[in-house]
Amino acid sequence: MATPAKTRQTYTVEAIPKNLTEGAFLGDPSIDRMMSCMIAIGTELWATQYRLKVMEAVMATKGITNESIEQYMPSAAQVADWERDRDRFVDLTFGALGDDAHLPAYAPYPKS
Amino acid sequence: MIDRRQLFAGAASASAVVASTLKWQSAEAAEKLMADVPSQAGALAGKYPRGVIGRMPRLGSLHTEGQYDFSVGFRVTAARAASKASSAAFTRLLEREGVDPASQMTAEEVRQLIQKDPEITLANKVWLTNQRMMWKAIADHHHANEDYYLSQMEAADNVGPGKLELAPNMDVPAECRHEIHIQPGGYVGDAFAGHIYHHGTNSFFIGTRAHNEQDEIHKSAANALPIPADGKVRRINIYGCGPGQLTVALKERFPDAEVWGTEIGGPMIRYGHMRANNLNVGANFAQRNATDQKFPDGYFDIVTSFLAHHEMPAATTLKVIEETNRLTRRGGVYYPIDFNTAGGPTLTPQGMFGLWQDHRWNGEIWRLEYSAMDFTAEIGKRGFKHMKDTPPVLRGFGARHFVRV
Repeated sequence: MATPAKTRQTYTVEAIPKNLTEGAFLGDPSIDRMMSCMIAIGTELWATQYRLKVMEAVMATKGITNESIEQYMPSAAQVADWERDRDRFVDLTFGALGDDAHLPAYAPYPKS
Repeated sequence: MIDRRQLFAGAASASAVVASTLKWQSAEAAEKLMADVPSQAGALAGKYPRGVIGRMPRLGSLHTEGQYDFSVGFRVTAARAASKASSAAFTRLLEREGVDPASQMTAEEVRQLIQKDPEITLANKVWLTNQRMMWKAIADHHHANEDYYLSQMEAADNVGPGKLELAPNMDVPAECRHEIHIQPGGYVGDAFAGHIYHHGTNSFFIGTRAHNEQDEIHKSAANALPIPADGKVRRINIYGCGPGQLTVALKERFPDAEVWGTEIGGPMIRYGHMRANNLNVGANFAQRNATDQKFPDGYFDIVTSFLAHHEMPAATTLKVIEETNRLTRRGGVYYPIDFNTAGGPTLTPQGMFGLWQDHRWNGEIWRLEYSAMDFTAEIGKRGFKHMKDTPPVLRGFGARHFVRV
């Protein structure tokens, strides 16, 4: 990946790329892609949890303790709102479990 | 985005992040480690957008720090677990194929073996993917804030205490332009190669050896490095110095010496100079090819390097030894720090399996060539006497204390 800076002196020369993405290590390229996605999701998920930990620590310095967060009782409106968000999240991340995947990629175009 | 005005903001308190960063250790061990870290937050105030921990700049955004933190956790837990599983699968494969685990194999023989069971490459797959995500997270942050980080380096280029000599028209050979360790842009192709490498290798060191955020490994090597018998250490050269951690550590050990770190990667050495200056360490840096360093004959009392030779072709290593012979004064010390070599084209199946994967997929282009030569013997053939009783300066690395004859 070349540096995005184009207008300032960066003392760079063109690198010879290493095409790691061409590698299929696990016997099936699709499994490789899934594994890569899972590690990327893990990276992002932990970064979010990490931020939450920092937020809790910062809030604690303002008198909002972890205990008060644990004991917080959401309002009925919040519960309904958060349930909608949860369902949207689960649908996005695991909705594909409901795919009726049974046709091979070379299956002929269906007759109408 | 980081505003340039933040250059002048105060350094942030880092205790919470320190505790988090060290969470896989016991609280007692973490406290001891931090007690051993002299905080340089005062001297480094305003140099980095989110302050420092000891001498290590915090990553520039909390999200990037969280992504990096995952990479560390993945290396010390998941990658090791996968390694155990892959190793067991490899052992079973050897049994199925009737191969003696103590036998010797070439890289090609191992490659043929790998084709027979994809299970054995699980560890390589997950380790590399984690490595890829880590580089991307760190690089993306710096690219998204390129004005801030370029401005920092531009402001530091002509500032001391140490000098910086860049060579924008230098002909950088193709052999030096590979994306080593699959770092995007390698050492030469990304304006923030030094930033990215410095942060990323911390994760690598934790996963493979020990903490190095405070240059612990480089300081250990610098402090163990032998000096000439006459005790005179006036000038030191560290070639292939990367972001300059050993260079800084040697200047700290020998504050009165003229210390030069040289490196072919312009962005890498630019970062190294800025970092040394921020630490108020007066080491000098120059963009040079290790085969042609431009210094006068016999200029240095000590010449060294850190993990440079396994990243260059074997033929280049021989040229570097010749150049070092020219640069080292009689009685001076030459000590290149790098891995042990096998001295031949074969290894045990497990050893070659690991080496081949690193070579093929982790951008260790020259690792097989390096392993196949007898690096220590080659130095001895080129005007240096091997001081065989000196132990290695770092555990597991070659004992290569040489004196210029």
